[in-house]
Amino acid sequence: MAIFDTFGISGSGLMTHRKWLDAVSDNIANVNTVRRTDEDAFQQRMVIAEAVEYGTGQGGVRVARAEFGDPEGRLVYQPDHALADDEGYVKYPDIDLGDQMTQMIMAQRGYQANLSVVERATAAYQAALQLGKG
Amino acid sequence: MTFPISGIPGIGASSGIGGMAGIAPTPAVADAVNGDAFSSVLASSFDQLQATQAKTDGLAAKAATGELKDVHDYMIARNESSLAVEMVVGIKNKAVEAFNEIMRMPV
Amino acid sequence: MIGEITPAALHASLSGLAQRQRVTADNIANINTPGFLAGRVDFEGSLRGALRNGETPSINGGTVARSLEPTNTNGNNVNLDAETLIATETGLRYQLALNALDGKYNSIRTALRTQ
Repeated sequence: MAIFDTFGISGSGLMTHRKWLDAVSDNIANVNTVRRTDEDAFQQRMVIAEAVEYGTGQGGVRVARAEFGDPEGRLVYQPDHALADDEGYVKYPDIDLGDQMTQMIMAQRGYQANLSVVERATAAYQAALQLGKG
Repeated sequence: MTFPISGIPGIGASSGIGGMAGIAPTPAVADAVNGDAFSSVLASSFDQLQATQAKTDGLAAKAATGELKDVHDYMIARNESSLAVEMVVGIKNKAVEAFNEIMRMPV
Repeated sequence: MIGEITPAALHASLSGLAQRQRVTADNIANINTPGFLAGRVDFEGSLRGALRNGETPSINGGTVARSLEPTNTNGNNVNLDAETLIATETGLRYQLALNALDGKYNSIRTALRTQ
C-alpha cells in the first residue's frame, strides 16, 4: 500500500468519470450524424466501469472496456438528403438525447464527489504532517 | 565510592511524565539508590531509545521509497523517539547536576 | 508513549480512520460501477474491546466488509450522501485524534523542559 494512497483511489475515480463524460459528449455531438442506409449507424459509446481489487476496498475503479450501441440505428424519411437511398431514407444513430443528458449529470456528479474526497484527504494528510509541531 | 542519591526528585514524578514508563522507571531514580543501580537505569534508557530510533529510521526509509502505509505511523514514531531523546538527556543532566551539588558540599 | 494506553489507542484510531478514508474514497470512485457493494470499515469494536480488557490495541486498522444495503438497478448500493457524511466525519475525527496526540506530546515536552 502506498503512502497518501487516497489520491490514487480518487484519481482513478476522476479518470473513469472523465472518460464517461468524454463518451457522453461524443455521443451528443453525433446525435445527428447521418449515414446511408447500407452503412452502420453511428454507434453510441458506453464506458463499463469495474472495481480494482474489489476485496480490499482500497483499489479504486477502472474502465474495463467500452461497449457500443446498436448499429441498426433508426431510419428516417428524408428524400432531399444527399445521402438518401432510393426510397428516400437515411440512417440516424439510435441515441436518446434525454438519456445522454441524464448520464452527463451522473458523470459530472461522480466527478465532483471524487474531487471532494481529494480535498478532504489533502487536509487530513497535512494535519498529520504537523503532528508534534504544535 | 557509593552514596545515596536520595535528594533527587524523580524526574517523572515531579512533572507527571508517568507515561514514559518504558523509557525510564522514574521511581527508581527517586528512591535511595547506589551508583550501580542508577547507571543500569540509564543504560536501559539508552537501549530503549535506540529501539525507538531504529523504528523511526525504518519508517523514514519506507516513507522515502513511498512504501509507508500511513503517514501518521511515521509522525508518531518520530515524536516518540524525539521525546525519548529529551527524556534521556534530562535524566543525564539531572544526575550530573545532583552529582556536582553533592561534590560541592563541604565535608 | 511506549507502554502507555492512551497514545496507543489514539494510534489505533488513526490507523482505523485512515483505512476508513481509503475505503470511502473507493466507494465514491465506484459510485457508478455495476454490481459494486459499498465497503465498510469497523475498528471501533475491537478497539473498545481491547481498552476494556486493558490490552494494547492493534494499530493495523480494522476489518473491511461489504455493505448489504439494497442496491439500485445496476447492482450498485453506494449512497453518495451517506459516503459524503462518512468522509467528512472521518476527516474530522482523524484531525481530532491528531490533536489529542499532539497535546500529549506537548505536555510531555513542556514537562521535560521545565526542569
